[in-house]
Amino acid sequence: MIDTNQPAPPGLEGPGFFATSMDKVVGLARKNSLWPLPFATSCCGIEFMATAASHYDIARFGSERPSFSPRQADLLMVMGTIAKKMGPVLRMTYEQMAEPRWVIAVGACASSGGIFDTYSVLQGIDRIIPVDVYVPGCPPRPEQIIEGLLKIQELAANETTRRRDTEEYKALLESYSIS
Amino acid sequence: MVLLDAYLPSDFLPVVVQFGLAIGFVIVTMLVTHSIGPKNRGKVKDQQWECGIESVGDARAPISVKYFLVAILFVLFDVEIIFMYPWAVNFKQLGWVGFVEMIIFMGILLGGFYYIIRKGVLNWD
Amino acid sequence: MPFSNEEILGFVQTTIGEGLVHSSEPFDFLTVEVKPESLLHLVGSLKNHPQYQFTFMTDLCGVHLPEQKGKELGAVYLFHSWTTNTRIRVKTFAPIENPSIPSMTAHFNSANWMERETYDFYGINFTGHPNLVRILNVDDMDYFPMRKEYPLEDQVRRDKVDSMFGR
Repeated sequence: MIDTNQPAPPGLEGPGFFATSMDKVVGLARKNSLWPLPFATSCCGIEFMATAASHYDIARFGSERPSFSPRQADLLMVMGTIAKKMGPVLRMTYEQMAEPRWVIAVGACASSGGIFDTYSVLQGIDRIIPVDVYVPGCPPRPEQIIEGLLKIQELAANETTRRRDTEEYKALLESYSIS
Repeated sequence: MVLLDAYLPSDFLPVVVQFGLAIGFVIVTMLVTHSIGPKNRGKVKDQQWECGIESVGDARAPISVKYFLVAILFVLFDVEIIFMYPWAVNFKQLGWVGFVEMIIFMGILLGGFYYIIRKGVLNWD
Repeated sequence: MPFSNEEILGFVQTTIGEGLVHSSEPFDFLTVEVKPESLLHLVGSLKNHPQYQFTFMTDLCGVHLPEQKGKELGAVYLFHSWTTNTRIRVKTFAPIENPSIPSMTAHFNSANWMERETYDFYGINFTGHPNLVRILNVDDMDYFPMRKEYPLEDQVRRDKVDSMFGR
């Protein structure tokens, strides 16, 4: 379970100021302002619309501005069935995002192809791009999508500031043949 | 006797310094962030964003001249109106001579306006 | 008021004669099977007929019947007349080695994409089509998925448990 009343990271506190390490501050800033790129193709996209609407608001978690351009988005939310013909499009979208970037696969079709085990459906987007969080469901309820978002927030808060320069990240991109 | 309420040019030095600091801050910030920031370029990453597909050609397209004409005519007649403001303030002082001068001024511009209308420049289509 | 099936069938017989292979009326829906050579002539006559006016092509789809040797791949057309409320189904079959059926784009513009889809999934070559390329599948796919010999599922999966999928 995600603790939504988490305490502040360890640091020096005083009247009117709070000092902590740079990583923690940047992590806090990143986690509370994840701007999503809704790559919504099917029914899970409708569930995302419900999640983004006022009842199950994701704006209260910082995802205030959904962007349909990867240049200004932090979080690629792939929601829906991705056909093999759509694969290169999704891959180019991911490649054109600026670091730091996270990917969340919402729904069974994005995670593994779902019930569509056919010649035309990509059996899971992790065949073409690296995925951070999978949200199963067909379609997952908005509460589940929010939990997926909160897990991404955990990842974002605890990531190093310059993960893009680490060997592990470069190896990950190499394994997907992303230059 | 020195006129104490006159401003010497050297009194405006703080304004110049403030202006210089503002410009300098902008330039330094932009240069420094570009030089010390991370750069992760890639062949695909640097390409144009065309919703995930290969983009074809460039975005240059000729635009109609009517937009420019409307804007430039607006500027012209707006400046004419600006000239009428000081005339309105000093109306009484300028008297009949000023009145006739202004009528000649507006008449010249009205002639130009008549030419524009007859030329069909304001025709939107 | 719809014309009777017998009347339409009589007209089809007089129009193409030998080209009519078979006719039937499943659920009172007149169905004629014709040879590919006489297809265009028949459809043109039906479309331009002053009384029947079959000017609307409801559907165009493909079918693969591997049991009928020599006539495995087929195209099924449904025509409808708005003014007289009459319907007719026309089928043609071609051998699977070289399936070639005349294109309906000569009479109906809407057949363009529908024939592309049929080509994409069955491999039927519509002669006279302006741009017969794949429309729904990836362009470099080298087989025709809806033919009966190809399995529905993706063969590259390694993680599916056969017992849970009834295999």
